[in-house]
Amino acid sequence: MSAARHTRRLVVAVAATAMLCVPACSSTGAHVPSAPKTTRAQPKTNIVSGTGPATCDPTASLRPTGPPVVTPGSFMAEIKTHGQLIVGVSASSYHFGYFNPLDGRIEGFDIDMLHAIADAIFGNPNSMRYVVVPDTLRTKAIQTGEVDIVAETMTATCKRWRQVDFSSVYLDPAQRVLVQRNSRATKLTDLVGKRICAGKPGVTSWDYVVAHMGHTDPPTMAVPAETWADCLVLLQEDKVDAISTDETILDGLMAQDPETKIIGGPLASQPYGLAISQQHPEFVRFVNAVLAKMRADGQWAAIYKHWIGTPVPPPPPAHYRD
Amino acid sequence: MAAGTAVLPAPDASVSARTRPHVLRWPQRAFTGQTTPARLRLLLAGLLALTVVWGAVAAWTVATRTSATNNIVGVSEPLALDAQQIYRSLSDADATEAAAFLSGGLEPAALRRQYQADIAKAALRLETATASAGNSRAASLLATLAAGLPQYTGLVETARADNRLGLPLGAAYLRQASAFMRATLLPAARDLYAQENAQVAAANSQATAFPYVAVIVAAIAGFGLIWSQLWLTRRTNRIVSPGMVLASAAGLATLIWLVISLSLAAAHTVSARDEGSIPVEALARADIAALQAHADESLTLIDRSGDDSFQQDFVTVQRRLGPGLSTLLGTAAVLAHGSPGGSAAAAAARAAPDWFAAHRQVRSLDDSGKYLSAVQLAIGSNSPSSGALFGRVDVALTTAISKDQGAFRAAAQAAQTDLAGLEAGVVVLSLLMAAGCARGITRRLAEYR
Repeated sequence: MSAARHTRRLVVAVAATAMLCVPACSSTGAHVPSAPKTTRAQPKTNIVSGTGPATCDPTASLRPTGPPVVTPGSFMAEIKTHGQLIVGVSASSYHFGYFNPLDGRIEGFDIDMLHAIADAIFGNPNSMRYVVVPDTLRTKAIQTGEVDIVAETMTATCKRWRQVDFSSVYLDPAQRVLVQRNSRATKLTDLVGKRICAGKPGVTSWDYVVAHMGHTDPPTMAVPAETWADCLVLLQEDKVDAISTDETILDGLMAQDPETKIIGGPLASQPYGLAISQQHPEFVRFVNAVLAKMRADGQWAAIYKHWIGTPVPPPPPAHYRD
Repeated sequence: MAAGTAVLPAPDASVSARTRPHVLRWPQRAFTGQTTPARLRLLLAGLLALTVVWGAVAAWTVATRTSATNNIVGVSEPLALDAQQIYRSLSDADATEAAAFLSGGLEPAALRRQYQADIAKAALRLETATASAGNSRAASLLATLAAGLPQYTGLVETARADNRLGLPLGAAYLRQASAFMRATLLPAARDLYAQENAQVAAANSQATAFPYVAVIVAAIAGFGLIWSQLWLTRRTNRIVSPGMVLASAAGLATLIWLVISLSLAAAHTVSARDEGSIPVEALARADIAALQAHADESLTLIDRSGDDSFQQDFVTVQRRLGPGLSTLLGTAAVLAHGSPGGSAAAAAARAAPDWFAAHRQVRSLDDSGKYLSAVQLAIGSNSPSSGALFGRVDVALTTAISKDQGAFRAAAQAAQTDLAGLEAGVVVLSLLMAAGCARGITRRLAEYR
């Protein structure tokens, strides 16, 4: 590597992904990230008072007022009159939210969470309309009201709390690293100078990789991809050396390719929350009531067992801010 | 070859233009100081030279024309056909595989067969095109295609294998295959087709160029023959010289045969272009755009990554397709009007709006969460599905293309037939002309012995 290339900055491998790009994705490939920005756009609406990124507990949500009940005049009642819960999901995260080509349906852990909420509103777990939302547009889909709720392996962060509300944590995986089975790397830092697929800018695992591998010598390349399945294609085609994201997603990728392995310890906690508009705190409390019930009656454990497997850990405990 | 006709006439024409006044004055000066037999010998030499030049020029004109026409029928047209078939097969493979994927893990056998036939056809045409591709630009495009085709099929087979296991990885591989097809293979096929079409157009204009040299030499020869006969009549007081009449008749016959055959051949070549290659090119462009949109529809339903780039592409392509003024379908219908494929081209333009309407319905079903109904409407066999309505457009376009390709070939072959035997005929008639001149003048010379 020449001295000129030692910019000590994470290099985005635009060329490597150009072949992956569908007609309109070229704009994402041109983005060269620097370390995460500390200045952010001002929040549009008021959120949890007195909490900034430094003091925020992203896992603390709004306390349910009791068992889930569709109260008149609430957002739940509005959803009920529409006849369908409009849900933002992924269709490519195996075992979480994925399109099953064998039965033509979207299935997974996240989807089962949504079925439970639809059941609580309508008494019918299938009264849902799916909108497939790219990872980078999840908060926007909530803010514009395009969807009522997003269940898409979405990490609750203080940054996102400024734009949307989250339910209590329903799964708390750690970010880890997936490599080919013959790789000699045993942890993330062994991948200095290599190519890592970590989603796209704006996704928490991308931000983590940029923050921790963004100043290596030789430079490490963060390779963007549209979906996590696309990352696996890149790994199989030897266009990246590793994939780093939540271990749950990595489990799903490993299930699709037994020639891969997960290495290293947990890098960062990625507490998943269901994203809901800040306009509807009553719906957040309602969803938290549903989640509380699922934790208690074993439904959460059953879903975990079905999609992730045994042993089933205790569900992540709910934290509330008020 | 085009350079030959452009360059050769010029020096000949200028030489004859420069020497013509000289030719007119010199024999008279030479004649006045000579005895009559000497003048007759000079005249004979001049006439023989003129006959030889005329024969050579006429034969050369015919040979050039014949080789241009043969080149169209034997080289340019087959290459353009290969390129068009490669382009279409690859586009169809992309669209077919996407539609097959939509059906779930188990692809319909018919779509699978169609995909395999597309790939086989593309490979076969690639091979024949490579065997006859001399020029380096076409060769590099063909190399890109030959190297890329197995890469594409590899991605597709991986996609199928994963899809059969119910893994979302399959859709990711298919997207990659399609992106590779669209970013690498189809542009190369498009360039190849454009290039081969340009070759056809060049050969075509060469085969219809005006034969200046032949016309000028014919005029000079005709003048020489008439002047000689007038002079002979004055000198020898004989109205008719049978030999000279034979020479004149042979010359006239050559000229008439030449004019008729060349005009017929040119007319056939022009109709090959106007009712053949030009509409075929426009129709092929419309067909390939339609295939791209059809693939977009399937890929939008398969993709489900949440970004709607394939749908955006569909909308763009739909706008380009038309029908309407200066859209692909509109232009194809106008250019094919009056050609054998004209009615099919018009039918394609008429069928397109139904397909677009069905597509909008597919989108609205999918957007309102009725994914399976959307897929059913896109590829289902019952009710006119979007796929079936696309099929009508596609069938109409391919029918029009093959009809006009047939018209092209027939007209180009007719042009070839028009020129058959002409070269030999011109040589024989020129020899006859020379013999006539020789006989006509030697008979007069003999009278002076």
